[in-house]
Amino acid sequence: MRSRIPLSLRLWVSLSAWLGVNGVSAQGETPAADLWNFDDFDDVDPTFLELAADQAPDIILFGVFAIIAMISFLKKSKPLKYLTLVLSVAYLGLYQSHLISITNVLGSLTGTIPLHTETIGFSLLVIFGVVSTVIWGRVYCGRICAFGALTQLIDAIVPARFQLKIPATLERRASYIKYAILFGAIAYYLLTDENSFYRYIEPFWMFSFEASTILWIGVGLLLIASVFVRNLYCRFLCPLGAALGLVSALSIFKIKRWSECSSCAVCENTCEWGAIRQRKIIMPECVRCDDCEILYASKTRCPHWLLKAKKKRLRIS
Amino acid sequence: LTGARYRADNPSRYPGVDRVKKCFATFFVVALPALIASAQPMADAAFEEQLQYLFPEAKSFSEKEGSPPVYRAYGPASDGKEPELLGLAFWTTELDPLERGYDGPIKMLVGMDTSGILTGVIVTDNREPYGYFSVETPEFAEQFRDKNVRDRFRPGEDVDAISRATVTVTSASRAIRNSARRAARAHLAPPEQ
Repeated sequence: MRSRIPLSLRLWVSLSAWLGVNGVSAQGETPAADLWNFDDFDDVDPTFLELAADQAPDIILFGVFAIIAMISFLKKSKPLKYLTLVLSVAYLGLYQSHLISITNVLGSLTGTIPLHTETIGFSLLVIFGVVSTVIWGRVYCGRICAFGALTQLIDAIVPARFQLKIPATLERRASYIKYAILFGAIAYYLLTDENSFYRYIEPFWMFSFEASTILWIGVGLLLIASVFVRNLYCRFLCPLGAALGLVSALSIFKIKRWSECSSCAVCENTCEWGAIRQRKIIMPECVRCDDCEILYASKTRCPHWLLKAKKKRLRIS
Repeated sequence: LTGARYRADNPSRYPGVDRVKKCFATFFVVALPALIASAQPMADAAFEEQLQYLFPEAKSFSEKEGSPPVYRAYGPASDGKEPELLGLAFWTTELDPLERGYDGPIKMLVGMDTSGILTGVIVTDNREPYGYFSVETPEFAEQFRDKNVRDRFRPGEDVDAISRATVTVTSASRAIRNSARRAARAHLAPPEQ
């Protein structure tokens, strides 16, 4: 069902609803005609502060989670990163089922911004996801998204011998599938105004525990496949990741590279996301997992520091 | 390769192609207009059924009329008198068009009797991602039957809250409440208290 309300008005309504601006409603009749006196006993819709007070636990818990995630990212701490992943699966996934969905991207295209006063925790997640992507790249994919966190934890538990090593060329080609899915979904949505297909292209609904048997079989197969091909869904199939990847092309703080990077492949071989090609970092593929940045900082493994130390030794002798 | 050239040069060498084209042409000229023409009465009949579901006792319904737009349900006409007005049916999307869930408005047909008691709700269209276990369930619509237009319609209080679909349920409940109040205010006199 297509709404025939102009886009600008719909945007304004979404925004004003979020800001708690009252009076934006369809009540067109003059109060004089109100024989029912609805206003006398009419419960005024709760204000933003009342709603926020009701949702205080969720807001606080999300805040704590976001702070842990940011510390793990900014300090490049592996233990804190795994804590973030576990919290993401447990809290954002299993408890809240708060994951940004392709439907949010589709809705935003037609003026329904996914910010709601009834679910402030989710709205904060959306803001955090978009802002962090603009600043650093796909941090959301790397440690906030509960499904990504789940497959990364699977990846950490499964012995390396089970994992298939995909040839780089195939990996590169497969990484474009997600863009095809994204643009296919957008085209289908704009043509038919229908979004219920989303359950077939993203598995995030699994945290709601509500689906048909066929969908559960599909998710089961996807999770089993993730054991053999690490982060299969995030790297090759996720339309939301593709959308955030497009945004991340604009990101402000990129990973720095040394001049030595063109001849060294330590990071390229370490990257589990296929995001490094010699000196270049493919930003849309990078989820800011810290693996290469930990290597850069290593005085014993990064040629940049090793060569520097060697030059220093030569100068002294 | 030769086949491709043949086809490009001389399509009539492949009579099968012509036959397929003819079939398509017939479909567009004859069958499609017929399908479109037959779809409208079918939709009307389905809508009639929905109105009848909201007002099982009604004998006739008005066209959509008034501002805000409603359908009036009438009882049986008896010995020359005007048939009695049983209540109103209306689309939430027409009376509260700016109310939206996760992705746009949730389209519902609501029935309300003349004293402001809801006779039923039919959810016809929505794009809510988690609609399939919230507003699309029969339990959701059923809980609004016999609700008073003066009720609060607030999830967690007098409407069942469904976790993970908070926005959907809140928005749908608010749309029902606001459109019912708007319809009552414009078209009905409040009952004597």
